[in-house]
Amino acid sequence: MLKKPCGTFDETYAQDIACIRTPFRAGLLILLLLFIFIIMPLVADDYVLGIMNVIGITVIAMLGLNILTGYCGQISIGHVAFIAVGSYTSSILSEHLGWQFWATFPSAILVSGLLGLIVALPSLRIKGFYIAISTMAFHYITIWIILHGGDLTKGVWGLPCEFPIFFGISFDTERKMYFLIMALSVLGTIMAFNLVRTKFGRGFVAVRDNDIAAEFMGLNIFRLKIMAFIICSMYAGAAGSLYAHYLGMITVEQFPLIDSIWYMGFLIIGGMGSISGAIFGAIFYRLIAQVVIFTAPMIGEAFPSLSVSGVAGFTQILFGVLIILFLVLEPRGLNHRWQITLSSFRLWPFPY
Amino acid sequence: MAFFLQLVVSGFLTGSVYALMALGIVIIYKASSVFNFAHGSIVAFTAYLIWHLMVNLHLHIIFAVIISLPVIIIIAYLIQRLILYPLTGQPPLAAIMATLALAEVVNGAITLFWPGPARTYPKFLPTGTIQIGTVFITLEEIVNFIICGLAFTGFMLFFQKSKLGLTMRGTAEDHQLARSEGVKVNRIFVLAWFIAIIMAGIGGFLMANMHGVNQEPLIALGMKSLAVVILGGMESILGAVIGGIAIGLLEALGAGYLDPLVGGGVEEVFPFIILVIILLIKPYGLFGYKRIERV
Repeated sequence: MLKKPCGTFDETYAQDIACIRTPFRAGLLILLLLFIFIIMPLVADDYVLGIMNVIGITVIAMLGLNILTGYCGQISIGHVAFIAVGSYTSSILSEHLGWQFWATFPSAILVSGLLGLIVALPSLRIKGFYIAISTMAFHYITIWIILHGGDLTKGVWGLPCEFPIFFGISFDTERKMYFLIMALSVLGTIMAFNLVRTKFGRGFVAVRDNDIAAEFMGLNIFRLKIMAFIICSMYAGAAGSLYAHYLGMITVEQFPLIDSIWYMGFLIIGGMGSISGAIFGAIFYRLIAQVVIFTAPMIGEAFPSLSVSGVAGFTQILFGVLIILFLVLEPRGLNHRWQITLSSFRLWPFPY
Repeated sequence: MAFFLQLVVSGFLTGSVYALMALGIVIIYKASSVFNFAHGSIVAFTAYLIWHLMVNLHLHIIFAVIISLPVIIIIAYLIQRLILYPLTGQPPLAAIMATLALAEVVNGAITLFWPGPARTYPKFLPTGTIQIGTVFITLEEIVNFIICGLAFTGFMLFFQKSKLGLTMRGTAEDHQLARSEGVKVNRIFVLAWFIAIIMAGIGGFLMANMHGVNQEPLIALGMKSLAVVILGGMESILGAVIGGIAIGLLEALGAGYLDPLVGGGVEEVFPFIILVIILLIKPYGLFGYKRIERV
């Protein structure tokens, strides 16, 4: 329940369904967009922009997972497989057919969506962890197919992928890619934000809360589940395509199963079932990864007996413990804390 | 025909190890309705632990096993007390993610403590090959099969005859009823984890003895036992046995006949293809209970 400041009332239906309810929030939104598109590129160097780019791509992927898991309640541990499919579709079209970004990006989304449809088929009869297992099996099968794809995917060698070119301008630097990625992730956020307010978004929530009750109320739950899977995989395909064009080179090692688990875990840490939660999760995920990169040399110095892979093991332990701690102590995630903070500001000086 | 028989026999023998590991998942699921995704990592961890005791501390195999038992009890208690007990009553996603995160913690611990390439156990079993008709079987495979059979029989005797085993079965049926009879349900959960980790440990030890102590294949092995459990049915011990042997057979046959067609590596992915097919056709497995849900 979104709390509004005292004295703000909805007097028309238009006010009731508005996304931006008060001038203050509109101002905040404009400030945020100004920060993303003007202030950040001016003050940040290429390294920070690189982090922001990865965060932007992660936000797109996380939004898709949030629609599937957070809103529709279907647990997916195969999210990275969808991202891999998007990446490889882009790379194959770019490498073998010489297509440009404006053509590979929608194709990657379509192919991923189609695959999402196939993966969704078992969800007619199963739920809960059975879906988790089937998506995990799907991950293994996808990676296996990519590895044994012969000339099409080049197996373990990976594929190059061209940088996006628009109107003769090649997006070959971090700074140029930054604008493309941020524009697409803002667009993706707006789409997700509106999607969950539609009939289908509310249907997803009904299926998540109790699918039998949802069916009794006349919802076609199979169709809703399939839709959620398709939308999720389309977001993942978009993220994967961007990722491939951003890196310029993809290999199958960039898509391990463990990343799917991190996506799922950091979605929980961010807060499932809310758009801002997905964004918090994506930012937190990549920032913690950066913290680990910064502290890894110090850990290496403090414990000289550890090798490089030992430090990698430390990352796994840290992420795993973080996820478990959030599950046990704050299952509603960072977003819940954020909302509490916000509402206490709005209601100040009253306690509630 | 000789090739077929060879595949059947080796598939059967591998399948017995799968069955043992699947049993671990089934025990935990029956007792506490938690599906243990961390099984593969625990398999790898116990294999590494025994390797550490045997090679770095120069212990005899029997002492290594005896010393690893209290470690397993402590791990089982910590998992239950710190992770799963606070999550009681949460949606299923919480338990799934908790075991997945646990798997990664264990994996991280393995890379932290035992980095680097694969290891091998010192040889303690006789090596050699015996020939029956046209089929070749290594002695190690036979010993593996016998150990699996013994472990299985031991567990079944414990589960069917002993008082503690009966208490476990009662707890699996109904937590509240068991509690009203004075059963400490949380202790039973710890016991279930303890037995499951032992089963995982035996399976992991046997496989590592044949193929070397290596993190990735051992984890993959645990993941394959997920396919076994789904095929057999989540709640069925008999299903774990039949599913294990069936997956072992299908994997061996699929690898034997399909590998030349697609260029190798079929056995890595074949169990998962079977898994998806089962989920499409018979989602609750061969012997699983069909759940009836009410709103």
